[in-house]
Amino acid sequence: MTREIAAGETVLAVENLGVRFGGLVALAGISFEVRAGEVASLIGPNGAGKTTAFNAITGFLTPSEGAIRYRDSRIEGLRPNEIADLGVVRTFQKTSVFAASSVFDNLLIGLHRRGGARLWEILLALPRVRAEEARLRAEAEEILDFVGLSARAGEPGGALPYGEQRLLEVAVALAARPSLLLLDEPVSGMNPVETASFMAMLGKIRARGITILLVEHDMRMVMGVSDRVVVLNQGAIIAEGTPEEIQANPEVIRAYLGHGADRRAVGRA
Amino acid sequence: MNRWATWLWLAFLFSIPVWMTNQYYLYILINAGIFIIAAMSLNLLLGYTGQLSLGHVAFFGIGAYASALVSLGFDLEITDSYTFVFAPRPVWVGLLAGILVAGFFGWLVGRISFKIRGAYFVIVTISFAEVVRLVALNWIDLTEGPMALNNIPPLTLGIPGLWELTFWRKVPNYYLVLVTCILSYVVIARLVRSRLGRAMIALRENEPLAASVGIDVTRSLVLAAVVSAAMAGAAGGLYTHTIRIIDPDVFLFIYTVTMVIMVITGGKGTLAGPIVGGLIFGILPEVLREVASPEVQWVMYGLIMIAIVFFLPDGIVPALASWWRDRFGAGGGGAESQSEPGPGPEASGTVTDTMGERA
Ligand SMILES: Nc1ncnc2c1ncn2[C@@H]1O[C@H](COP(=O)(O)OP(=O)(O)O)[C@@H](O)[C@H]1O
Ligand SMILES: [Mg+2]
Repeated sequence: MTREIAAGETVLAVENLGVRFGGLVALAGISFEVRAGEVASLIGPNGAGKTTAFNAITGFLTPSEGAIRYRDSRIEGLRPNEIADLGVVRTFQKTSVFAASSVFDNLLIGLHRRGGARLWEILLALPRVRAEEARLRAEAEEILDFVGLSARAGEPGGALPYGEQRLLEVAVALAARPSLLLLDEPVSGMNPVETASFMAMLGKIRARGITILLVEHDMRMVMGVSDRVVVLNQGAIIAEGTPEEIQANPEVIRAYLGHGADRRAVGRA
Repeated sequence: MNRWATWLWLAFLFSIPVWMTNQYYLYILINAGIFIIAAMSLNLLLGYTGQLSLGHVAFFGIGAYASALVSLGFDLEITDSYTFVFAPRPVWVGLLAGILVAGFFGWLVGRISFKIRGAYFVIVTISFAEVVRLVALNWIDLTEGPMALNNIPPLTLGIPGLWELTFWRKVPNYYLVLVTCILSYVVIARLVRSRLGRAMIALRENEPLAASVGIDVTRSLVLAAVVSAAMAGAAGGLYTHTIRIIDPDVFLFIYTVTMVIMVITGGKGTLAGPIVGGLIFGILPEVLREVASPEVQWVMYGLIMIAIVFFLPDGIVPALASWWRDRFGAGGGGAESQSEPGPGPEASGTVTDTMGERA
C-alpha cells in the first residue's frame, strides 16, 4: 500500500501469539511468518488451533498475548474491517455466504471497499454514484467470470450447491481486493474434481500477486500447492518447512498418527 | 413498463382529492400517510439491517415535540434571574429542527446500543422511549406535560408579501403528506440499492462475513439509525402540524407496536411493504370503528394480524411478488434480482420486482 513489497519479503509476522479461552490454551505463543507471493499452509489435527489463529490474525478475537504484524502495521486488536482495509481478508471454515442475496449481490457486497459513494451523493443520485455503480458491476462480473460462477449470477447465494458456495466465498473475499488471502479449509466437502479445479484456481489467484495462507486437511492439496508448511499441534508449532521436509518429519507423522482419522490423509500425500 | 406503472400510480395518488370529496376519508389517508412514513423509517432498521427497535415512536414523538416547540416558541427559566426565551420560528424551520433533533437522538441511541445488540438493543430502545415519555410528561415548563401543547400552527409556505399558502385544510395537507411519503420512499430506495445500503443488508444476512470484507459494522448501523430516526422525526413533525395538538401519549408503546405490525405484515425488507402494511393498518381501525365496539375492534385487529403473519410469514408484498412471478413472470425480469448485471439500476425489472424485491 505504502511501498512496494518484494517477493519473498515477510508480509505477515505472527510473534508469540497466545490465545486462551478461560482455562483452555488454544494457542500457546506461536510464531511464524508468511512471505510475499507465496502459498503458506497451516496444518494440524482438529482442535490444533488453526481457526483460532485465523480469528486472531483477522481481528475476530483479541489475542491474550503476542504481536501480529502485517507489512508495516501492528494489527492485533484491530477490528476485522480495519484489518480488511489493510488487505488481509479471510474465508470461514463453515460455509459463509449472504444466503438470501443473489450471487451477483454477494459480489457487490464484497466490493464494498472498492466504492466510496457518500450518503448525500447517493440520496441526490449524482452521476458519479452511477458511474461508480457501473464500475462495481463490471468488477463483479469480472470476478464471477474468474471463479466460473457467471451463470449463477441471479440465484440466491444460499441456493447454490455446496461446492459452488465455497467458490462464491472465495469470490466474495477476492472482491475485497486482498493482498493476503486466508482460506480456512476451502475444499472441505468438495469432490475430487471440484478440488482439482480449485487447486488450479489457487494458482491463478497467486498469479495475481495475492499471497495465500491456507488451512486445509486435504494433504494432497496442501503438499501440491504450498511453498511452505507450518504444522500446529495442540496450540504449538511442531514443525515448519517445505512440503518434502514436513512429510519426512517424524514428529509430524507422530502427531497425525495420534489422530487416527487423519492417518490416511498423511499416507495419501 | 415500470416507468409507466410508477407514473400511473403517482397520477392516481395525486388525483384522489379531486374526486374524493369526503373530508373524513382524506383525513384517514393523511393519517395513514404519516404512519406510512414512520413505518418506512422503521423498515430501514428492522427490515434492512435486521435490528428490532421497539422504541421507534420516541423518534416520531421527539420530531413532533421539537417541531411544535420551535414553531410555538418557549421560555425556560434557567436561574432565578435568567430566563431563556426562544421566539417562535416559521413552521418549516420547526419541521427541519424536528428532523435534525430526531436524527441526533438516533445517532445517540445507535452509538450506545449497537455495541450491545440483539435483545439488549430492544431493551435500550424500549427504555429510551419510556424515558422520553416521562420527560415529556414531567418537564411541564417546556412541554406543558399532560396538559398538552395546543394551538400548534399549521405549515405555511410562500413568498413573504406576495403569496402564501397555509395548510389549514385537508387537501393541502394531503398533498404535503403525499409529497413527504414520496420523498421518504425515494430516500429509502436510493439508499438500500447503494453501496451503503448493501452494507446494511450484509449485516442482516451475515455479520462476520460482512466485517471480513471491510464493512464497518458500527458505522453502518449508526448510519441506518440516524436516517431512520430523522425520517421518523419528519413524520412526527407532519403529525404535530396537522393534528395541531400534542401530548405525551404520543410516546405510548402501542404506536411502536403499530409501526412494527405495519412493517411485518406488509413485508419487512421490501420497499413497498410498509406502504401496504401502513395502508391496511392505517385504514382498518377507521373502518372497524363504524361497525364494531372498541373491544371487538381490537380483537379483530389482532386476528387479522395473526392471520397475515400465519399465512404469509414474509408479509403481503413478498407473497404477492412471488405469486406474480409464478403466474406471469417465469422467464421475465420479475424472477431476477434488482442487481442483475446488465441494465442500470433504474432501468430493469417489472413493477413487482421493484416494489416487492426483498433486497
Ligand atoms: N470461541 C471458543 N471458545 C472456547 N473454546 C474455543 C473457541 N474457539 C475454539 N476453541 C477451542 O480452541 C481449540 C482450537 O480450536 P480451533 O482453532 O477451531 O481448531 P482447528 O481449527 O485447528 O480445528 C479447540 O480446543 C476448540 O475447542
Ligand atoms: Mg478449524
